[in-house]
Amino acid sequence: MRVVIVEDNVLLAEGLALLLRTEGHEVAATADTAPAFLAAVEEHRPDIAVVDVRLPPTFRDEGVRAAIEVRRRHPRQPILVLSQYVEQTYATELLAEGGGGIGYLLKDRVSRVSEFVDALARVAAGGTAMDPEVIAQLLTRRRVDHPVDTLSPREHEVLGLMAEGRSNGDIAGLLTVTERAVHKHVGNIFVKLGLPPSDSGHRRVLAVLSYLSKV
Amino acid sequence: MQATWLTRPGEGGNDSCGTAPGSNRTSLHDTRRRNGTNVRTAAFGQAPIDSRETGTELDRLARVSGVRRRLGRAVRATGRLLLGLLLVPVCVFGSVVFVLAFLSSATFVGLIILPYVVRLNRWIAGRGRKVAAGWLGEPVVAEYAPIRGGILARARIVLGDPMTWRDAGWMASHIVIGVIMAALGLSVWAALGFDLSVPIWWWAPLPEHSIYLVGFALDSWPRVLVTIPLHFLAVATAGSYVLPLLATADARLTRAMLATPERVRLAERVVELTETRTAALDAHGAELRRIERDLHDGAQARLVSIAMRLGVAERILAADPDKAAELIAEARLSTEETMTELRDIIRGMYPPILADRGLPGAVAALAARCPVPVAATVDGVDRLPAAVEAAAYFVVAEALTNVARHSAATSATVNATVHVHGDEASLTLRVSDDGRGGADEASGSGLAGIRRRVAAFDGRTELSSPPGGPTTLTVELPCG
Repeated sequence: MRVVIVEDNVLLAEGLALLLRTEGHEVAATADTAPAFLAAVEEHRPDIAVVDVRLPPTFRDEGVRAAIEVRRRHPRQPILVLSQYVEQTYATELLAEGGGGIGYLLKDRVSRVSEFVDALARVAAGGTAMDPEVIAQLLTRRRVDHPVDTLSPREHEVLGLMAEGRSNGDIAGLLTVTERAVHKHVGNIFVKLGLPPSDSGHRRVLAVLSYLSKV
Repeated sequence: MQATWLTRPGEGGNDSCGTAPGSNRTSLHDTRRRNGTNVRTAAFGQAPIDSRETGTELDRLARVSGVRRRLGRAVRATGRLLLGLLLVPVCVFGSVVFVLAFLSSATFVGLIILPYVVRLNRWIAGRGRKVAAGWLGEPVVAEYAPIRGGILARARIVLGDPMTWRDAGWMASHIVIGVIMAALGLSVWAALGFDLSVPIWWWAPLPEHSIYLVGFALDSWPRVLVTIPLHFLAVATAGSYVLPLLATADARLTRAMLATPERVRLAERVVELTETRTAALDAHGAELRRIERDLHDGAQARLVSIAMRLGVAERILAADPDKAAELIAEARLSTEETMTELRDIIRGMYPPILADRGLPGAVAALAARCPVPVAATVDGVDRLPAAVEAAAYFVVAEALTNVARHSAATSATVNATVHVHGDEASLTLRVSDDGRGGADEASGSGLAGIRRRVAAFDGRTELSSPPGGPTTLTVELPCG
C-alpha cells in the first residue's frame, strides 16, 4: 500500500514510516501540516493516509478538520486518524458523512503491530476501525433501563468488537469461538436492540454506533 | 459578544446635566452618540449644547434654562456652605470635649467617658457626611468599629479605631475650613447685595465721595449706571461658578477625611483574597505533589522496567531468542500501560478536549458522554484563562457524574454564561436536573470537591436540591 503520513513529531513520523516499510508498505510522503496533507493527497492519491490529530500551528484538532476536508474533496479517500487520546465527539464527526474507510485509533495501538496493520488494511479496504476506548465511552453512556443491559456478557463483547469495525471472522478469532457462533450472537444483538439486520462491514458499524450514541 | 458587554453599568443612561461634579463621572469629557445626535454634556449643570442645532429660539431657551439652573445651583451651594457653618460651633464643642476626654482617659473615669464622647463625635461627623453627601449626590459611608465589651475593651476599641482620629481631625479642621468656605461664599452674596443697595446709599446722609467700588469712587449717576450693573454681572457670573466650586471642594475634603469605604472594603478584600489565595496555593501544591507521585511511581518506574527488559533482551538475543522475544513482548505491554497511565494523568491536569475545542466543545463532549440526556448551552464564552476553563470543566464533569449516579433524572441542562461587570468578568455555570433532589454535600458526592475547587478561584457555589427535586447547582467563577 502507498501511505501518506501526516505527523509533525519527527520521532513519531519516522517510527511510523519504519513500521510501515517493515510491513512492506510504501510511504509516499510525510506531511507535517494540514495544508501539506491536502497537497500530498492531491499529489499521491495514497491508498490510505495516517493522520495525527494535533498539528501546527495551534496543535488542537487540525488533523480531524483536515481529514474531514480531505473526505469532502475525495469521498473515497481512506483515512486513519491517530491520537494520544480519543474523544467520542471526534469519532462522531469523522463518521458523520457516512462513507466507509475511516479509522480512529489511539497511538498506543501502533505497538501491537499486527493489529495495527490489520486495522490499516481494513480502513484502506473501505472498512472501519474504531478504538475500543471510543466504544467504551459509548457503552458506558447509557441509562439504567437501557436495552444494552439485556445483552449477555458475550453479546456485549461482540457488540463492542462490531462497533470497532471488526468482521465476524475477526471477532471469532479474537474470542476464540467459531464464526457460526459469532453469527448467532450478532443476530441476537440485532433482535434485542431492535436494529434492522445488516450485513457485515461499515454499514453495520454505523448502525451500531449511531444506535449507541443516540440513546 | 453581546451588546451589553460594551456598556458598563451607570454609563448608559446618565443623561442628567445636573450630574454632581463630585461624582466620578466626569461628564466634561463625555461625548457620546445618543439617538444619532452628538451631544456634549458640560460640567456644572449647563444646558446640553447641541453642536448641530442652530435654531436661535432653541438656543435662547437653552440659555435661559441654563441661567436658571446655574442660579439654582449657586443657591444650593450656598445652602450647603451655611449648613457647614452651622456645624462649626458643634465641631468646636466636639473637639474640646474630645480633647478633654482624651486627656482624662489616663484616669478611670476618663476611660468610662471616652466611648460616649467618641459616640458624640461620630454623630457630629455623621452630620458632616450628610452635608457632603447631599451635595455630592452619593453617600459618604464610614465604617466604625462597633463599641462593645467591658470598660477597657470599649476604650481600646475607640482608641484603636482609625475613624476616631479621622473624625477628630475633621472636626478640628472644619472649624477653620467651614468658616473660611462660608465666608468666601457669603462674600459673593454680600457684593451683590451691595450693588443692589447702592441707590439707598446714594441718598444716605454720608460724606461726599464715600462710596467706592473696587477703589472707584461712585460720585455721579453715569458712573453708577455703568459700573454697578457691570460689577453685578461680573460677580454674579463668577459667583455662579465659584459657589458650586467651593461647595464641591468642601464636600470632597469632607469625604476624603471622613469616608473610609474604599479602604475598609479593600482591607476586607485583602483578607478574603489572602484566604482564597492560600487555599488556591494549597490546592495547587497538592495537585503538583499528586502529579509528581503519579509520574514517579507510575510512568517513570514503568519506563525503567521497560528499559531493563529491552537491555536484557538485547544481550541474550543471539543466545536465547525465545526468552528475548518474551522480554520484548513484556516491554511492549508495559509501554501500553504507561501510555494509558500518562493519558489519565494528562486528563487530570488539563483535559485535551479543552485545549482543542475550548469550553464550548469540552462541555458538549461531557454532555454527549453523560448517560442522562443533557441539553448544553454555552453563551458568549470565548477563550477564558486556562485555569478557569479547567475548573469549569471539572465542575461540569463532577456535576454530571452526580446527575448520572444519584439523581435518577430523565434529563439535565448545563448552562455556561460569561457576565461582564465593569472590568470584572465572571463565568456562571448552572447544572440542573429533574431528578429526585435531596443532594447532600456531606455524603461525599463530590460537591465538597466542587466547592473547594471553586473557592480556590474566589468563586461562589450554590446548591438547591429540595427532596423531590429539582436539583440546581450554580457556580460563579471570576475570570479576570
